[in-house]
Amino acid sequence: MRKKPWFTMLALTTTATFLLAGCGSTTTTSGNSGNSTGSNSTGAGSSSATSKPAVNNNTLVIADGLGDPQSFDPISTFTIAWGEIANNIFDGLVYRGPDLKIQPGLATSWKYTDPKTLEFTLRQGVKFQDGEPFNAQAVKYTFDRLLADQKSPQLSNYTSIQSVQVVDSTHVIFHLKSVDPVLITKLAGYGGMIVPPQYIQKHGETYFATHPIGTGAYQVVSYKPGSSVTLKANPSYWRGAPKIQNVDIKFVPDANTRMSMMQAGSVDIVEAVPPAQASLVKNDANFNLDAVGSPTVSEIRFDVTKKYLNNQDVRQALNYAIDKNAIIQKILNGYGKPISTFQGAQSFGNDPSLQPYPYDPQKAQQLLQKAGVPKGTTLTLDYDGSDSTFAEVAQAVQEELQQVGINLKLQPEDTNTFYNQLIPQGKAGDMHEFGWGGWTLDFDNTAELLYSKGQFWNPDFSNPQITALLNQERSTNDQNVRQQAFFKMDKLLQQLAIEVPLYQQETIWAVRNNIQGWTTPPDERMDLWDVSFSN
Amino acid sequence: MARYIILRLFHTVIVLVGISLIVFITVRLTGNPVAAMLHSGTPSKQAIAQLTAALGLNKPLLVQYYIFLKGAVMLNFGTSYATGQPVMQMIMSRMGATAELAVGGIIVGLVLAFPVGIASALWRGTFIDLFGRSFALLGISFPNYWLGTMLILIFSVWLHVLPVAGNSGFISLILPSVTLGLILAGILARLVRSSMLDVLQAQYLTTAHAKGLRWWRVTMFHALRNALLPTITMVGLQFGGLLGGIVILEQVFAWPGVGQLVIQAINQRDYPVVQGVVLFLAFLMVMVNLLTDLSYAFVDPRVRLGGDR
Repeated sequence: MRKKPWFTMLALTTTATFLLAGCGSTTTTSGNSGNSTGSNSTGAGSSSATSKPAVNNNTLVIADGLGDPQSFDPISTFTIAWGEIANNIFDGLVYRGPDLKIQPGLATSWKYTDPKTLEFTLRQGVKFQDGEPFNAQAVKYTFDRLLADQKSPQLSNYTSIQSVQVVDSTHVIFHLKSVDPVLITKLAGYGGMIVPPQYIQKHGETYFATHPIGTGAYQVVSYKPGSSVTLKANPSYWRGAPKIQNVDIKFVPDANTRMSMMQAGSVDIVEAVPPAQASLVKNDANFNLDAVGSPTVSEIRFDVTKKYLNNQDVRQALNYAIDKNAIIQKILNGYGKPISTFQGAQSFGNDPSLQPYPYDPQKAQQLLQKAGVPKGTTLTLDYDGSDSTFAEVAQAVQEELQQVGINLKLQPEDTNTFYNQLIPQGKAGDMHEFGWGGWTLDFDNTAELLYSKGQFWNPDFSNPQITALLNQERSTNDQNVRQQAFFKMDKLLQQLAIEVPLYQQETIWAVRNNIQGWTTPPDERMDLWDVSFSN
Repeated sequence: MARYIILRLFHTVIVLVGISLIVFITVRLTGNPVAAMLHSGTPSKQAIAQLTAALGLNKPLLVQYYIFLKGAVMLNFGTSYATGQPVMQMIMSRMGATAELAVGGIIVGLVLAFPVGIASALWRGTFIDLFGRSFALLGISFPNYWLGTMLILIFSVWLHVLPVAGNSGFISLILPSVTLGLILAGILARLVRSSMLDVLQAQYLTTAHAKGLRWWRVTMFHALRNALLPTITMVGLQFGGLLGGIVILEQVFAWPGVGQLVIQAINQRDYPVVQGVVLFLAFLMVMVNLLTDLSYAFVDPRVRLGGDR
């Protein structure tokens, strides 16, 4: 039997009509559904989650955008996803909260008896969540275990530690191989988290990774890989019992799904709202929008061995030619901040008085002329092809460089090839994208790896003055001396213009407006201890 | 029959070895995973070299492949770089959720496809047929992530009757199953319709009618049984596509299955997990194909497998 073509046509048209009708109503309604959804969500009460704020003030529900940390063992992780949750389960000797200041944690005080000897006085009466006592032995065990694990991605962060010596139950001494001014900061995160020796010896490491026990404000009740982690308050927490009894953190990798959960009223806090959907939060009467500068920064880096780019004037010209503010406004929807060097504003070593290169295409043209760069010269820009935001940035940069007579050839690359082969081998074009999120919030980490020659991501650049400043900064624990060294380095780096610092990204959070005591963390490590519901 | 099964199992081994080689090489083409692993830390060149050695990634490729294959034979795919857990254990803990979704999708698909397909065939050329065929076309044309998002919008955000995402019992299974099932139903409904049409014209049905059997008995017991045959084959053949759909839907619905696991592993370059999951899914595919062929013979006695005389 032959099909009648008009029949198929009719079916197709009908389908198309349905489809278009569907799409049309969807977009218009979702745009202004904020308020109506808001009022529905409190009134409907049909599902248990919807009516929650009024009915159950003891459970906080969070839609986690970073996903499953996969292992809760502090020494076998390397993800921010871990830090954001585990910050509530474990404590370190020192503590860095949402204000980013280092405060006493499980240690009440510390002092350097010499630059390579660090003594801690420990808090008394602290217990792990299973009742095991916290003491100097636990501290020693934690670091012995870390330093013995060759497979630990955390090992390299703590290699300055030679050994940990137990003095008595409340005193430990860290003997260092080398001066490490960033060590205290590192003890506030990741591998520095104190773990329970008896518990791990009894149950094994594999069990510990999914059933963690720490001294923190919240204890893990259940962990469903890929789905959620449920926490309950630790009533004997040393800072006092947390105010909210239960926390349900759901791993929701898809941003649209997280936004749907917010609109359905089934969550209290949504992490990583896409900038394009920020208006959904703004229009929802039940939620507040919080945009916070994250440690993640973005730049374009020059290959200083290439023709033209080996000339400082050319590099400065390109800095003048790129309009960073326009990029932030148009592509990041305003959720970003300009940066003067390759570090965020919260980073130690950032000089707040240093201003980014202004947008000045005329000056750029003059400098290019002075350097003898002919009009119509073609340069290449390599970037991570999976990074859709940067793809837009690259196009904007292409257009801006066109204005000063440079043709920019865009070369998207495969992520891993780009980071692991092209950049380390100096094959990433005349210039390349680079992104970075330093968890220590200390410029040391970034500066050492990007400006010290022969490092993984820095095959070619070196400068004797920068090297000298780096050595100076690394060899002392005196923060004033270090800061001065960094400030000098910032100025010098800007003059040398080996990169175009573009912006510091902001993370957008949606927080239900009856939540109190919450500070949106700039480093994504949530601190839920003091959080409560207002009704 | 037994000989046929043994032969097919032997083929299976060859196919799996081939796939293992392809996966092993392709994941390694993406470069050393260590720098990506250390991204949030402070990876110095020495640290990267040290971890590379600790993971055995500095050994010659052939040696690495031998280690991988030796483990795989014992169903040991090594331990995850990200979690330190045995890969097999991770797959098993996620497999239940994926299986639920697959079964849910197939059930929804079959439940929708049969009535629509049968009705379309019985009332060929009428408005019912037009509806049935449009339904099939719609099902095939929808990208599943879009359909999933739309269903979330309608049933969770507007109507507040179903949870948006996550896994909190049977109720969370509804939306993803329907999304998956609608797409499968589109493909199957067309098939049910066309095979019903073939069967309805067959001589034995005329005979059955002539014997005075009621039309619904003819339809249900004679025609449908024969229409079942290609449909089963199709479900089997579609299984690969179904798994692909599941991988995407698990992201949309935050469903804790194998698909989500493999996407996370790919993002983190967790080689052992990527290798393990791909090989495991390939094994599943081959097995489903084998079962499809066997059930074919079971449903239709005319089909003989393996040339047994």
